[in-house]
Amino acid sequence: MRDAITLQTRAGHWLVALLVLGGLVFAVVGFATGDTFYLRLATEALIFGGLALSVDILLGYTGLLSLGQALYFGLGAYVSALALIAWQSFWAAIGASLAAALVCGLAGGLIANRVRGVYFALITFGMAQVLAKAVYNTRALGASDGLIGVPVLDINLGLFSVSSASPVGFFLFVLAVTVLFYVLAAYLLDTPFGRLLIALKANENRVLFIGYRTSTLRLGSYLVAAVIATLSGALYPMLRGFASPELLFFSTSGNAVITVILGGVGTLVGALYGSVLLTIVKSVVGSWTEHHLIVIGLIFMAVVVLLPKGLMGLVQPALVSVLGRGSRR
Amino acid sequence: MLQIRDIHVHYGRSHILQGLSLSAAPGEVIGIFGRNGVGKTTLLKTIAGWLQPTSGTITIDGTAIHHLSSHRIARLGIGFVPEDRRIFPHLTVQENLTLGFLQVPGRSRAQSRMALDEVYAKFPRLKERRSQPGMTLSGGEQQMLAMARVMIGDARLLLIDEPSEGLAPIIVAELYAIIRTMKENGRTVLLVEQNITNALAVSDRFVAIERGQIVHAGTAASESDKQQLMEAIAI
Repeated sequence: MRDAITLQTRAGHWLVALLVLGGLVFAVVGFATGDTFYLRLATEALIFGGLALSVDILLGYTGLLSLGQALYFGLGAYVSALALIAWQSFWAAIGASLAAALVCGLAGGLIANRVRGVYFALITFGMAQVLAKAVYNTRALGASDGLIGVPVLDINLGLFSVSSASPVGFFLFVLAVTVLFYVLAAYLLDTPFGRLLIALKANENRVLFIGYRTSTLRLGSYLVAAVIATLSGALYPMLRGFASPELLFFSTSGNAVITVILGGVGTLVGALYGSVLLTIVKSVVGSWTEHHLIVIGLIFMAVVVLLPKGLMGLVQPALVSVLGRGSRR
Repeated sequence: MLQIRDIHVHYGRSHILQGLSLSAAPGEVIGIFGRNGVGKTTLLKTIAGWLQPTSGTITIDGTAIHHLSSHRIARLGIGFVPEDRRIFPHLTVQENLTLGFLQVPGRSRAQSRMALDEVYAKFPRLKERRSQPGMTLSGGEQQMLAMARVMIGDARLLLIDEPSEGLAPIIVAELYAIIRTMKENGRTVLLVEQNITNALAVSDRFVAIERGQIVHAGTAASESDKQQLMEAIAI
């Protein structure tokens, strides 16, 4: 018999497989109809799904509410845009973003992890605001206009290459990268390190008393989340051809938190489904009215009240019980 | 092995422990008694590194620990079983236990497996429930799990805070049997307990604390010492 956390993780894997399947069908339909708009929109949903995934690692597993994850997403977008303008190389952009993520994640983690709870939320919010304002006022980075003129890119993957201008190709590429982030995060959270994070969320003192330095654990989780958020952000300018300061604003961080809560906190896969759902809602409602935030606010409230475990709270328990029956047999 | 010399501990402006000294030898069980709020739990928390004494020293086998952080103290083989809900509710019983031995330095996988088997042999009830999340255990089982976790972590000194609180007598008897085994294995135990009769049955020595100081000390075998203990804490 498998334990509850393992079964839940397995259920998550099946739901990601379903998402991939849906993505492939969508890509075929999009390719056949020659669509660009919806493929681009779906690509963006997946990129923001990566950001939400990073929020879920912190919120759902470690119990840390970050209100400034946009810091890393925006950092990735800007560093990647700068690298792409300078070298026109995908791998240079990813390498530079990864280096920036490690340096800034470590620095940010050391600062933010000095405090807990509401103070952690406020410090992460503050750090993101500082960077957002600095970028907004820096002419070399395009100031309020953002960095424009990111060239179209051929992503060389060894056996074949994908053009960032190809709606289907780049969509499939981002789908693969997002799934890779999911697999990495799910693997990491299934190790003893992940179990310690779950223990940490329940009671930090108890983890200390059995002999772990909890500050290192929290820093580790923060760093993993920072890397995933930054690398997700690094994909953004490849899709849109620019990086804007809005990516660093609170609205981006706040949206990521809403995404995770809609999808289901502590499920990982919920972050991805939440992002797809939120993007669809924004797009559909946005085509009727510019006040789409009101609708999103209402949906958010309804989910918090009626579905405290988010969308995944509806689907996952059923899947868990099916998988549980299977493993007992 | 444990030497506490003249420690003073403050909570803000309140002076909780006021020059308390205590020592314990290997394999010794010491009962710590006193009314609510006299500093019994504070003493355990201070040894475990949750609180830092404002003055005085605490040493384990000659190593000063009073300035170390909790996780370093735990790695020196000091296991704290606090009074509150004692386990990680979302992790399974087995995961709760394996977290306990992951931090023992230099232990091989095979040794960890053996330690786990040993604990399961002692706590068959935990073995039955090994894939269940901790939160589905009863209060008594949770307490057993907390004790098993410090045992598996190879603790030499166990700090146990009110193990029998709110538990059925039959479970309490099982827990005390476990404490007795720990003692036979040469582990030192500081046992804070309201149920003096139970605690005295496993203790070698005891101390009574009043207003942050030890007001009475004696051996559990001596009837006159026990009589004085009851008078000292006015029960």
